[in-house]
Amino acid sequence: MNATAEAQTHTLILDDTEVSFHEGETIYEVAQRAGREVPTLCYDKRLEAFGACRLCVVQLEGARNPVASCTTPAEAGMVVHTSTEAIKKHRRTLLELVASENPEATINPLRGFASQELNELLCKNDVQPGRFQGQQSGTSNGDDNPFILRDYDHCISCYRCVRVCAEQEGDYAITMMNRGFETQITTEFNNRLKDSACTFCGQCVQTCPTGALGDRKAMRAESLPGELEKTRSVCPYCGVGCQVDLLSKEDRLVGIQPAMDGPANEGALCIKGQFAFDFVQHEDRLTKPLVRGDDGELHEVDWNIALDRAAEGFRKVLKKHGRHAVYGVASGRAPNEAAYTMQKFIRAGFGTNQIDNCSRA
Amino acid sequence: MSRDTDTELVNQWRKEPAPLLPLLHAFQNRDSYLTENALRCVSDALKIPLAELFGTVTFYHHFSREENGQSKPRVCDGPVCRFRGTENLLDALNAKPMPCAGRCDSPVPVLQGNEVLIGSDANSLKPLPSPLPPPNPGGIEECVFAHIREEGRATIEGYQKTGGYAALKKALCDFPENLVALISESKLAGRGGAGFPTGKKWEMVAQAEGNPKTIVCNADEGEPGCFKDRTLLDYDPHATLEGMILAAYATGATRGFIYLRYEYPDTMRILERAIAEAKDTGLLGQNIGGKAGFDFEIYIRRGAGAYICGEEGSLLNSLEGKHPFPRNRPPFPVTHGFEDLPTVVNNVETFSAAPPIVKHGADWYQSLGLGEHVGTKAVSLSGDIQRPGNYEVPFGLPLKTLLHDWAGGPPSGQSIQAVSMAGLSGGFLGGSDLDEVTLDEPSIRSKGAFLGAAGIMVFDDRRNMVDVAHNAMAFFAEESCGKCFPCRIGTHRLTERLNGSGGPATESEWHTEVDDIGDTMMATSACGLGMAAPNITRSLQKYFPEQVAAHLQSVSR
Amino acid sequence: MSNPLSDMDKPDVFFCIGTNMTECHPVAATRIKQALQRGAKMIVADPRKIPLAGIAHLYLPLRVGSDVALLLGMAHVIARDGLADNEFIAERTKGADEFLEHLKPFTPEWAAEITGLNPADIEKAARMYGAADRGAIYYTLGITEHICGVDNVQSLCNLALMTGNLGREGTGINPMRGQNNIQGAGDSGAVPANYPGFQPVNDPANQEKFSKLYGREIDSEKGITKVTALNECGKSIHAMIINGENTLVSDPDRAHCQHSLESLDHLVLIDIFRTETAELADVVLPATAFGETDGVCVNTERRVQRLRQAVPPQGEARPDWWIVSQIAQRLGIPGFEYESAKDVFNEVCGLSPIYTGLDWDRIENAEYQWPVPEKDHPGTPILHEGEFKNGRGLFSLVKYRDPAEVVDEDYPVWLTTGRRLQAYHTRTQTGRSAGIDYLLSEESLEVHPSDVVKLQLTDGGFANLTSRRGTVKIRVRASDQSPPGTVFCSFSFNDVPVNILTGSGYDPITETAELKVCAVRVEPAED
Repeated sequence: MNATAEAQTHTLILDDTEVSFHEGETIYEVAQRAGREVPTLCYDKRLEAFGACRLCVVQLEGARNPVASCTTPAEAGMVVHTSTEAIKKHRRTLLELVASENPEATINPLRGFASQELNELLCKNDVQPGRFQGQQSGTSNGDDNPFILRDYDHCISCYRCVRVCAEQEGDYAITMMNRGFETQITTEFNNRLKDSACTFCGQCVQTCPTGALGDRKAMRAESLPGELEKTRSVCPYCGVGCQVDLLSKEDRLVGIQPAMDGPANEGALCIKGQFAFDFVQHEDRLTKPLVRGDDGELHEVDWNIALDRAAEGFRKVLKKHGRHAVYGVASGRAPNEAAYTMQKFIRAGFGTNQIDNCSRA
Repeated sequence: MSRDTDTELVNQWRKEPAPLLPLLHAFQNRDSYLTENALRCVSDALKIPLAELFGTVTFYHHFSREENGQSKPRVCDGPVCRFRGTENLLDALNAKPMPCAGRCDSPVPVLQGNEVLIGSDANSLKPLPSPLPPPNPGGIEECVFAHIREEGRATIEGYQKTGGYAALKKALCDFPENLVALISESKLAGRGGAGFPTGKKWEMVAQAEGNPKTIVCNADEGEPGCFKDRTLLDYDPHATLEGMILAAYATGATRGFIYLRYEYPDTMRILERAIAEAKDTGLLGQNIGGKAGFDFEIYIRRGAGAYICGEEGSLLNSLEGKHPFPRNRPPFPVTHGFEDLPTVVNNVETFSAAPPIVKHGADWYQSLGLGEHVGTKAVSLSGDIQRPGNYEVPFGLPLKTLLHDWAGGPPSGQSIQAVSMAGLSGGFLGGSDLDEVTLDEPSIRSKGAFLGAAGIMVFDDRRNMVDVAHNAMAFFAEESCGKCFPCRIGTHRLTERLNGSGGPATESEWHTEVDDIGDTMMATSACGLGMAAPNITRSLQKYFPEQVAAHLQSVSR
Repeated sequence: MSNPLSDMDKPDVFFCIGTNMTECHPVAATRIKQALQRGAKMIVADPRKIPLAGIAHLYLPLRVGSDVALLLGMAHVIARDGLADNEFIAERTKGADEFLEHLKPFTPEWAAEITGLNPADIEKAARMYGAADRGAIYYTLGITEHICGVDNVQSLCNLALMTGNLGREGTGINPMRGQNNIQGAGDSGAVPANYPGFQPVNDPANQEKFSKLYGREIDSEKGITKVTALNECGKSIHAMIINGENTLVSDPDRAHCQHSLESLDHLVLIDIFRTETAELADVVLPATAFGETDGVCVNTERRVQRLRQAVPPQGEARPDWWIVSQIAQRLGIPGFEYESAKDVFNEVCGLSPIYTGLDWDRIENAEYQWPVPEKDHPGTPILHEGEFKNGRGLFSLVKYRDPAEVVDEDYPVWLTTGRRLQAYHTRTQTGRSAGIDYLLSEESLEVHPSDVVKLQLTDGGFANLTSRRGTVKIRVRASDQSPPGTVFCSFSFNDVPVNILTGSGYDPITETAELKVCAVRVEPAED
């Protein structure tokens, strides 16, 4: 927002309180900022407001019908009620309708970042289960890809996946087929993701509010014991520096979710950051120090022996060839502390600048 | 016949405005369905992502993804036709049903390839021109039908001979602002159903920033029981063209589209000829009517079978080659219409009314209504009635006058049980209301219905109104675009409650559920479809509670 | 990067050269795609029709290694057509007159001859970038991994300087870093010419400061680069400690590399896997991996971010800093009594001017982009705002040079190498992650369909790929992503060790290997 627009502050009446807003803000944004709880299912703040779920409707004085707050620009002097009895009833009915087309199931949070949204709203809004019974929509796709579960029985056609793929990722791999109750989220020619423009970035999974799209890799851990914990860190691959939440259960790293507020990525990841984490607890990991024996083979030893041997080798070379004969290569993949100690090792240890990193690889 | 190559088709359309629909039609006409290769070509040519294009194609009823899909016959199963042979035709032709195709005044239409055949059984099917409006029965002065019955009116010579394009000539001698003022003064309101003041709309577009501006004629007459636009375009196409040209002059627009429903292929040919004639006569193109700098072109864009495309936001998305969901409003088309630029969207009938108004003056148009009411309305009357057809009525005419005096009443021996309003969108009127209402919005709205596009279908006492309501709701469910939750789920749940496949069996619970769904749909749906569909159940509950009770009994049994 | 990632929604014109961003920096690429949706324009220059090319407004399929010619040609047009920003040039740059004179012979026609492009496209690119209100350059290894990598970068700087596209929002020269902490490694002083915070070792003040801090005299001459060090193995270099690099597979000219490492008296490797390189080491020490340790890393936009431990280390793996410190302590080197990553990082902040305003706790929420010269400083999202660090921006009089190797009768095909979306580097990590094989299970050689025919290859069959340094066998995949006469593959798969072939030359200044160009022969091979 530019400075002139920011200067233009107006006010409206929100639930009997005067609140100010900037030109261009929607009623929903104003209500959010004012701490009102306005439910939504199709809203993702990164995406253009869509107005599909209608849960965010509010009563606008002077308007015949409630308006969708997410798509209605705030205007000076508006009088808005976010939570009248009538509005609450409409929201409940809408949620009951949504619930009626989904199988009763609590969704494991491993499926995705937003996967609990529907369930949470159902609980919060006093929804009567079993109302409006009838046919359920969506046909699950037998896609055999190892990353993204496409369980459309749980799909509520909020189009967040379609929109995130287009607007955020720019891949346009996901689309909606048919119309009305027959609407089906799918790909070009209703095929597997592998045969589409999909790059398996996982953004659709993470914005899905019902877990209809699920993170298959994380879901491997559904039966593991322990609480699901999240730890904020940074993706270990390229230099963009996407923030991630590491999902762990007890000692196991079970999945990755993008940080929605990560400054570099704002909720985005790519296939590597999203799905390529098994290396961490892979059986090939080095778990013990190794030193080369007289037989020419590497043998597992304990740390003391290995470190002594490492130090000894440098001592010998120093003695025989002088301090410039020792060279250090730091890693562009390890933390700053690794690179710093490595250069300090060379500079403080040998008084040289025989240090580099692997950026020239 | 040589087949056009992919490249030829693509090159023919790529640089044209609003190219997606015609390019898809071109491929479908060539291959009889839309092949994977065709979609890849179109995606590549128009830079529409393949997945998006695929999804959009599947949205439309008449784009086929099956081999020979286009030549497969489609039989109208609209509310009128289904009582006049739809089922037989479906069986006999091994055909697919299609929603009301706008021939309720001469059922039953069968669409095969790009031809419409008419008949009530497979043997009697033949091409048949659409019926003219019956001779003016009330002797009341008409506006849009005043000259429609005159021989040769569809040609430019015939049109001009009976006073056509005189209005344009007159307008061009004056400032555009004065044309806008005249239309405003006449109080002409959108005759497609929404009733927005036409002069105001033109004025807003004239004043809006951004060029080029666009005039869109909504000829996607998809409301079941409505067929007035078809008649207007078939017999008086130049009136609509003249209305559009007037709108262009009034607003400074330079391009125009007629968005014509797929089910009117004959109309398409008539319009193509009319546009060519107007071009040849210097009434379209550059320096129109000799007025330097007044340039305007009209393009026909044929829909592909989607009721929602009659909604202006969907229509504009469809024209632009996007998925035809309705648009969020604001902003409105007057500032952010076609390609996000200022756009007039008016119905065929509205444009047709403009030339006579310009010719005869604002006072004249105002005086056409009865009592306080202004102007006239073309009504499509069909169903169980002696003389179905299009009637131009003055606003304020009693419904019973139209039904009994003008159209001859119900078939002999029957009585009228209900009529639908606004096609299906207004729901039904029944009982004593049939005798009480007059044909104008205040009167009809006071009964919980609305006149809208003024399709009126008559149901006599032989009809099971729950079945009629179910067919109507199934139509809305089929045509719901799927964007907003209340409509997508609500229309389907109401359909299930009308055919007994879902919902509670006890009467009070049934009514509560139907009321709750309907209330929320009306209050929260994103466009008119979802807001209007519950009029069906509401009016059914209001006028025919015993039939509902009987239905629930039969379901529980 | 001179500008932050969040700036990527601001340019009017992107000029992406030598960057396959959608595959190598996919999340950054999403920002470009979003900007294009909002109406920005993009020029893409790359020998291969990479995915970015498909969405570009102008795609320039230049011959591998001909970047300088293209950039000189563009600069010529910008100067000739009056698109230069004379005010910026006058106020902020040096050497413009010589530079403008220097450009005169480099007409678009001259550049077209070398690059194989259409002169009109070169003019168009120059006008698009030159006329942009905010033009931003993005590049990656396609610019730097050449014998003329420095020339390439300087040519880009020239373009930005002459058009004033520096030091403002939505402009800049923005190299995308390929590794998660390559920026941090440089920041931390793991380079031969600089102490931490890019303090030159040959500056006596710095030398004195660090000699004091580290308790011993330190050379004032810079050290040798890793590439030179590998050449010196067994000569002047006899011991190496390598952290987290699979040198054997990722460096060019594998045979040379193996020979070098084998010539050492002592090789200590710190890694998370027993890599090909580990097999040559005397001591291999298991380090903690991602998710197992706390630490700090710095991304391509200089944002300082925290890594956090979520799970316990595998087996006896230890943090890298701990391992190095333990060896140091055993050698009696003082100053390695760290108890945590926090201790180490806070020490760096205390002696590095770019981190002065930071400490472990302040970077909790990753708000800072260095330099952060003092406490309460908000950080520096955009470099060179107002003035350049060294005063005025200096134009470079760059000339075009051929690659170290050009195609000839014996080696008639250009080979260029790079990465693929689903694999990272030598696949030590992606190759061990379930599911990746579903999408990318083996390497293949991308060959233009017309070359498949011409070279008598079979799509899906095998080919022998031979350079002056060796031969590898590889599956052939017909694709018009590579132009006729050029083939492509990645260096990610150990069973297709492409680095046997590359390494024809090095940039004389950075000693970066010319991994992007090498002349090869492609012949059909048996399955």
